[in-house]
Amino acid sequence: MSSVQDTVFDIIARESGIDRAKITPEATLKDLEIQSLDAVQIIFEIEDHFKITMPDRDPNFDTESVKGLVEAVEKLVAANNAPQA
Amino acid sequence: MHRVVITGMGAVTPLGHTAVDTWTAMREGRVAIGPIESLPRADLRYGIAAEVRDFDPLAHFDEKKLIQFDRFTQFALVAAREAIAQSGIDFGADGLGENTAVVVGTGVGGEQTHDEASRRLYADNNPRLHPLTIVRLMANAPSSQICIEHGLHGPAFATSSACASANHALAQAFALVRSGAASAAIVGGSEACLTMGTVRAWEAMRVMADDTCRPFCKQRRGMVLGEGAAMFVLETLESAQRRGAPILAEFAGAGMSADAGDIVFPSEAGAAKAISRALADARLDATDVDYVNAHGTGTPGNDPTETRAIRRVFGAHADALAVSSTKSMHAHALGAAGAIELVATIGALRNGVAPPTMNFIDADPQCDLDYVPNAAREMPIRAALSNSFAFGGLNAVLALRRFI
Repeated sequence: MSSVQDTVFDIIARESGIDRAKITPEATLKDLEIQSLDAVQIIFEIEDHFKITMPDRDPNFDTESVKGLVEAVEKLVAANNAPQA
Repeated sequence: MHRVVITGMGAVTPLGHTAVDTWTAMREGRVAIGPIESLPRADLRYGIAAEVRDFDPLAHFDEKKLIQFDRFTQFALVAAREAIAQSGIDFGADGLGENTAVVVGTGVGGEQTHDEASRRLYADNNPRLHPLTIVRLMANAPSSQICIEHGLHGPAFATSSACASANHALAQAFALVRSGAASAAIVGGSEACLTMGTVRAWEAMRVMADDTCRPFCKQRRGMVLGEGAAMFVLETLESAQRRGAPILAEFAGAGMSADAGDIVFPSEAGAAKAISRALADARLDATDVDYVNAHGTGTPGNDPTETRAIRRVFGAHADALAVSSTKSMHAHALGAAGAIELVATIGALRNGVAPPTMNFIDADPQCDLDYVPNAAREMPIRAALSNSFAFGGLNAVLALRRFI
């Protein structure tokens, strides 16, 4: 498990109060019965932790599933760390 | 129990600086939503709003007094003057001012003042705040200043229930006049919430649209913030007729409810309860109603829920209703929303014109009522409702009857 995935799982479990063991990369936030207000808080905590801004309704980013969230974070963190042209 | 009528209205909105101009714009389907000009837009996530443009406070207030007024109080005072002038009410006659109520709804109060104080404190590290900070930001400032300006000594207070604040204010003032506890009332809602703090906080909820406000249509992407005020004069039918005052509409009833459910997601049952209570309070049958000014925020959650609530209460008659959201034009002025929408509802009753839901593209199968898309419609309107359903699950619905 990547460290990003580990942290994202931690944040989801903490913010939604669900058992961390239930979280799988394949699950969507909906599958995990995470309400919209909790989902917004999860995204906020992820943004704050990784110092990134998650796009809203961008078809290139999937923020509905756990795997999608992890990939979005990895992509955005990589972009932040890329050497400036 | 008295019959209550509305004899004056005034407004300062993104659609116009008077109630007349605001209604004319609604009837014409003018959309006041556009790029924000009053804030640095570059770092805003969405950057659109409906702003009250070209409002010059010095055209309305002398400098000495102006220093006491936050923008939301300025809007309320100007709108109240227009309403009082139209009504021709004389508070000096028969000691009327002694028992005239003032109730003004606001969602966030003097937010511009608050934002400025925070900037001094935390950005400038300046611990000295302006001595009138409290006087300007308190939520009851518009109510107090209207009392002071017009010499009104009846019950006066603010109501706050987020997006339903104005409708709760109107419901309270209506109850005071109907019961005889107040002889008349100056009532409405005011909001000037377009500050960096408020806009950012709404952005963080991820319920805002990035294009425009498209209530009830398939392509809707959320709500858009607005600002403004609308104020009304309520009095008994007897007093209005005695004075020969213009009667704009009869205020027939009000219904309120709390969802007691989710803090943000709306409830069909809670909304339906407020609508049914308004009809019962007004002694209206569902089939008497021709127009509903919807809450219609344009969010994924509100619009289908409100549609189902209307269907639940009106049954088969729901298909005969014209239902529109004027937020598509003036956006969501939070605590002033219900008051601005009452300008639309009164305009609809008086002129026999249902204002449109603008920016409408394709129908959403989950929203299957007649939303008067993109153009106003002439039609007889005998009675109308105006819905407000707030974050926090607090609902208030007003029922009005055409007065002939």
